[in-house]
Amino acid sequence: MNIELTSVTRTFGGNRAVDGVSLDAGPGVLGLLGPNGAGKTSLLRMLATVLPPSSGEVRLLDRDPRHAADRREIRRRLGYLPQNLGYYPAFTVVEFIEYFALLKEVPPARVPKAVATAVERVDLGGKAKSRLRTLSGGMLRRVGIAQAIVNDPDLLLLDEPTAGLDPEQRVGFRALLRSLGEASTVVVSTHLVEDVGAACSEVALMDAGHIVFRGTPAELIARGEGHGVGDAPLERGYSAVLTAARNGSVAA
Amino acid sequence: MTAPDDSKPGLDGIDVSGIDLRRVWTGVAAEVWRRQPGRVERIATRLLRSPGLARALVTTPSLLVPWLISTVVVFVIGGALTLAGEPLVWLIAPVAAALGIAYAYGPGVDPAWELACSMAVSDRMVLLVRSVAVFAVNAFLGLAVSVVSYWVIGPAAHGATGRAAGQAVAVTFAWLLPMTAICALTLAVAVATRSASAGAATGVVAWCTTVLVTRAITSGELTAAVTNSMTYLPYLAVAACAVAVIGFGTRTQRGAL
Repeated sequence: MNIELTSVTRTFGGNRAVDGVSLDAGPGVLGLLGPNGAGKTSLLRMLATVLPPSSGEVRLLDRDPRHAADRREIRRRLGYLPQNLGYYPAFTVVEFIEYFALLKEVPPARVPKAVATAVERVDLGGKAKSRLRTLSGGMLRRVGIAQAIVNDPDLLLLDEPTAGLDPEQRVGFRALLRSLGEASTVVVSTHLVEDVGAACSEVALMDAGHIVFRGTPAELIARGEGHGVGDAPLERGYSAVLTAARNGSVAA
Repeated sequence: MTAPDDSKPGLDGIDVSGIDLRRVWTGVAAEVWRRQPGRVERIATRLLRSPGLARALVTTPSLLVPWLISTVVVFVIGGALTLAGEPLVWLIAPVAAALGIAYAYGPGVDPAWELACSMAVSDRMVLLVRSVAVFAVNAFLGLAVSVVSYWVIGPAAHGATGRAAGQAVAVTFAWLLPMTAICALTLAVAVATRSASAGAATGVVAWCTTVLVTRAITSGELTAAVTNSMTYLPYLAVAACAVAVIGFGTRTQRGAL
């Protein structure tokens, strides 16, 4: 298992953003769904080793991120796209991705090829030498995705990756996700249930810091049968699970 | 984010159906887009044993907003120091400067800080490298201003111009150059021990020793003391120590590179 969480809790002051979450995940694409404030970003930040848990145990790629040497090794094999990634406006696309490839300790001899591969995978070849200040929001998001995959990560964490992408780019991105998920563990936090349906092999639904559902997209759709709220089958499943969770009948 | 169409028949009658054009193009793009590191970056890579840290070092001034903030902080502290005489002010000045640089290149201003925190190269090591760059480049600028003021304005200039030139010299020699040496020592120890905390502890001890020894030697007004030529010896000793530690800690193993 690339992700092993046991009773992980994260509090901010008196607020429990993540509350006793246990989660295992191997290769594949796991969609992390949930309303605003459900704890998705906090969970993702803990998986990215940016935020330590308040309690509970986290093991990533069979290592313990509390130990410096393990944490460094995890980070070499980790790709992370934060929700609000800022950019260095004076850097070109290639310079930005190369900078983070070097900080991920990709062997220097492999960096140019890795950068070129990442740039091509997000379809930014035509903008490779452009300054980031000249790019649109969607292009910047793709630059963020490129830096996340530049080290060919075994664990890829993407927080709202499709924000700012147009429909065509979103379709291409889902294909990229499926391809990445064949060998790696990909966790995608998103509000967009259609992304989950198209790209994810599994879904975890969070609410109020808890995981209230874990299963395949088809199982989530099945939960929504007969439920009136929602335009699409996955939305109905999402809504049905949340309603059940809030009424106290949680069944993950 | 779409795959290029590899299945097209040959160009000008050449059959390329058996060639992975995508792979070929990526190889070409890698060569075309490849950036050649400059001399400073190559030397820094060897000394710091990390291409990532070396890249962070040379890109420090190009992050304009953090650079301006940290430069202003460093010069304001330097200006205040040359006016203040209290040892305590001198002892806490590096902490204030470090806070300013950490704010500018850290969570306060750096737009990609959270991402930097998830990197294999420690974010604290990156901040140490940023500190060295901030002090070193500003020390270089301060030296340039000092030289210009000496040769153009003259050492015996009077009035506001003379006072400004004197202040620039004082800030450069009493603050920027020693702190560059201290930061270099801190980084050297951090690289050698692979611990930013160990480096920082060494830097604090070195700075305190420098200030207190200087005070003991001159036993006079501290501002005058650190600009006294007698104080250059401790500074040079610290700088030599930094170079020695860097040299020892980053010595190249034969065949390793």
